[in-house]
Amino acid sequence: MFKKTILLAAALGLIFALGAGNAQAARDYISIVGSSTVYPFATVVAEQFGKTTSYKTPKIESTGSGGGLKLFCAGVGVEHPDITNASRAIKSSEKEMCVKNGVKEIVEVKIGYDGIVMANSKKSAPLKLTRRDIFLALAKEVPDPKGGEKLVANPYKTWKDVNPSLPNVKIEVLGPPPTSGTRDAFAELAMEAGAKTFDWIKAMKKTDKKAYKAVCHTVREDGAYIEAGENDNLIVQKLEANPDAFGIFGFSFLDQNTDKIQGSYIEGVQPTFDGIAAGDYPVSRPLFFYVKKAHVDVIPGMKEYLKEFTSEKAWGPDGYLSEKGMIPMPDAERKQYHNAVENLTPLMMK
Amino acid sequence: MGLAAILASLAFLSLLFISIIGKGYTAFWQTYVRLDVHLSADQLDRTELETADYPGIVKKTLRSMFPEVKSRGDKRKLYALISSGAAFQIREMVLEDPDLVGKTVSVWVPADDDVDMLVKGHIERDVPEEARRLTDKQLAWVDALTGEGRVEKRFNRTLFTHGDSREPELAGIWGATVGSFLTLAITLLLSFPIGVASAVYLEEFAPKNRWTDLIEVNINNLAAVPSIVFGLLGLAVFLNFFGLPRSAPVVGGLVLTLMTLPTIIIASRAALLAVPPSIREAALGVGASKMQTVFHHVLPLALPGMLTGTIIGMARALGETAPLLMIGMVAFIVDIPGGFTDPSTALPVQIYLWADSPEKAFVERTSAATLVLLAFLIVMNALAVVLRRRFERRW
Amino acid sequence: MADPTHSDPKLISREKRKTVGDITVDNPRMTCRNVNVYYGEKQAIRNVSLDIARNEVIAMIGPSGCGKSTFIRCLNRMNDTIESCRVEGEIIIDDVNIYGRDIDVVPLRAQVGMVFQKPNPFPKSIYENVAYGPKIHGLSQSRAELDEIVETSLKKAGLWEEVKDQLEHPGTGLSGGQQQRLCIARTIAVSPEVILMDEPCSALDPIATARIEDLIDELREQYSIVIVTHSMQQASRVSQRTAYFHLGDLIEVGKTTDIFTRPKHQLTEDYITGRFG
Repeated sequence: MFKKTILLAAALGLIFALGAGNAQAARDYISIVGSSTVYPFATVVAEQFGKTTSYKTPKIESTGSGGGLKLFCAGVGVEHPDITNASRAIKSSEKEMCVKNGVKEIVEVKIGYDGIVMANSKKSAPLKLTRRDIFLALAKEVPDPKGGEKLVANPYKTWKDVNPSLPNVKIEVLGPPPTSGTRDAFAELAMEAGAKTFDWIKAMKKTDKKAYKAVCHTVREDGAYIEAGENDNLIVQKLEANPDAFGIFGFSFLDQNTDKIQGSYIEGVQPTFDGIAAGDYPVSRPLFFYVKKAHVDVIPGMKEYLKEFTSEKAWGPDGYLSEKGMIPMPDAERKQYHNAVENLTPLMMK
Repeated sequence: MGLAAILASLAFLSLLFISIIGKGYTAFWQTYVRLDVHLSADQLDRTELETADYPGIVKKTLRSMFPEVKSRGDKRKLYALISSGAAFQIREMVLEDPDLVGKTVSVWVPADDDVDMLVKGHIERDVPEEARRLTDKQLAWVDALTGEGRVEKRFNRTLFTHGDSREPELAGIWGATVGSFLTLAITLLLSFPIGVASAVYLEEFAPKNRWTDLIEVNINNLAAVPSIVFGLLGLAVFLNFFGLPRSAPVVGGLVLTLMTLPTIIIASRAALLAVPPSIREAALGVGASKMQTVFHHVLPLALPGMLTGTIIGMARALGETAPLLMIGMVAFIVDIPGGFTDPSTALPVQIYLWADSPEKAFVERTSAATLVLLAFLIVMNALAVVLRRRFERRW
Repeated sequence: MADPTHSDPKLISREKRKTVGDITVDNPRMTCRNVNVYYGEKQAIRNVSLDIARNEVIAMIGPSGCGKSTFIRCLNRMNDTIESCRVEGEIIIDDVNIYGRDIDVVPLRAQVGMVFQKPNPFPKSIYENVAYGPKIHGLSQSRAELDEIVETSLKKAGLWEEVKDQLEHPGTGLSGGQQQRLCIARTIAVSPEVILMDEPCSALDPIATARIEDLIDELREQYSIVIVTHSMQQASRVSQRTAYFHLGDLIEVGKTTDIFTRPKHQLTEDYITGRFG
């Protein structure tokens, strides 16, 4: 009895002591959270930064864009992260949350682009798709093939059903689960764009925005689309084993596995480094990170980290981030964001 | 039927082991390239050795080895053969012994992960050039280096001495191992005494009434709660309420303590129950008090069983990632943690992170790290078995 | 001739359950009056009164479940460890009711030692087994004194010659008979006045049993001994008085020779002539 009480008291005491101790102590490393898509790029910069400066290597957590912004907007102070990575722009609801919690000034930095590819094994021929084909092949409900302005459950079984010019192969697509930013971006950039090619669906956007979103973003659940988890390496392995299947993932995984898999043409453009950089490949999205301005002068090394990230040797066309598969921005855009970082121009918070 | 089930499970287990070992064993070797680096005094100002342009020195060395390479693009491809870690290696060497300036030294530096993959046979030469991570020219350079005896596979010490890195050839599991160790130290320090004390109280001293029944049911329930729930609890209590630092082993240890406590309490109670009543009677019979009976006789006899339960609980904690995710220990951390409040990861987290990295060289490193984790688990479980064999009594 | 239905307690009249024979002795060591024991709702001992004399061996006999073990476990309050167990009545030793208030069971159990059915030495050395009691009761001031207690106790238990060269060996390594004598030595070491023995020979072979029985006879010089046994031969060999229990009632008490040759109660006669039990 006594022993137990004493131990419990000691344990609680330890927790309090550490808690109190930590609240006062300043953090001497940068804390970064956010998107798993930006993670492979941010970590390279962080490592480079840690090795070439006297500052500690920043700590980077892969929490997803939404999770990262939630942590980021929770408040100002050493217990909250300094930077969050995002594979989409901050939403107005997230800005409100930030302001509410006292995070009044944040700097938005766009760092480059990421292409989302639909790839298959090199053992088969590459597919030449349009976004309309993708929408028809993967949406839960599609316009009635017999004509008329009404939706039916997706009847297509093979790619040939979708578009006679495509091969007679069963539709089988491995892709990320709904929690993934990649899936959101794919739904928006590929499927929604494909849906818009039907004028009456496009018209729905004005009349019933909710229904429009549901039509464009809902993926079929009859087995043609297989949720393969967040591990993109696993998808690559499955594609190798099954030459008829297609996978959806970020360009960097295609870039690292060009010996095994190939990207499908979308609107006649194959996902290549140059194709995405030139803006020809349609399914690509910008990547960002957000900086808490109040932390810049508090946490050691913040300015230097920002400088490293926005230097030409990192995010430039020949920089080390491009080697890791990130698509650099055009010169003018890079310059614009470089200046934003130099001056720490905060985002308009409405 | 039973035999078939056992055989099937053994077959699957051996399949798992074979596949992991088959994929992972190559990661224990790493391709190194021997460079004759001239540390010219022009490039190395003795007063500014820390900030000198070491990558430049590596590049110059490579250019001098292949003077025919002229175009900018080709040069970049040439530089890409050597890991960016080479420059750091030379920097450390020079800082350690500044007298090297002005001399030419022969050093083995790690090759880039693509070259490593080529040497290990994971990159095929007969596929078209654009489908390879290495161009025909780069292949020719690697062949030339090999011909001069400058390419060698050596034991991959980096894997065991370094923290995480985005360059596979520089990545190691030491940081994660230290993180796991610190986390488990906290877990053991808290969960063993608390668990044993709770078990002793519940089994030996607590009155049997509704309260203790309720506590008992709750402990059994807690043992079955998914581990992620403990992560959520840790996030709410230790991070948000007590304000402990994110990603710190101390929080990981506390969370894993909560997770392993029920296991330890249940195992400890079973161990206490297994002590035959005749021993208690003997002690009580010579006039020992309840306290003396428990602490002099029952507890020492139950201790091996308690330790076994604790080790198994620890082994489970060692393999856990889910609760650590919630408290921020799933993170990219390069520096080796130096204390309980430094940011750190754990071994299974490192495996999870590497498994999700695009570079091909991380595939074999993932398997290698898994092997190391399995080795730890096997050692811990073997220890539990040995303890049981050694101290278990038959009554 | 006895009616077999006598084994059913409901059919034994109140009159027949009254103890036959003299329960009292002169100058008793222990005095039990109107002892009732309940396990929860169930009554295990019904209104038992009995004196235990000095320097005697008293045997408790009776069929299984008759309450003889329960009764001797009342004498040093070993029943306290069973949660549902409740004891009424008084048991007096040295003018103190051991079930009175503010009684510390620790010195009581030193005063009234116990040897159990199965030899249960501590899984420690022979020396530690014997020395444990004196240590916790603070009976020795120095190591030499403790050594002496251990030696005398082992000598009294007749084990000294066999184990004096292996005192550091584990007690559990001895043979069954030696283990039981070690347990007796352990009990003696805290200098009790009464030794309770709960079927001490039931787990032993005949030779070891004979050894223990001789020992019990020797120990009578110094201690009162209450022995529970299921062997009537043993009871007649070692005891001076015998008490016969039947389904929670103390049926008959008397000199051992009388009980086995001239039982007064029908139930006692049935038992010793082997009609049931």
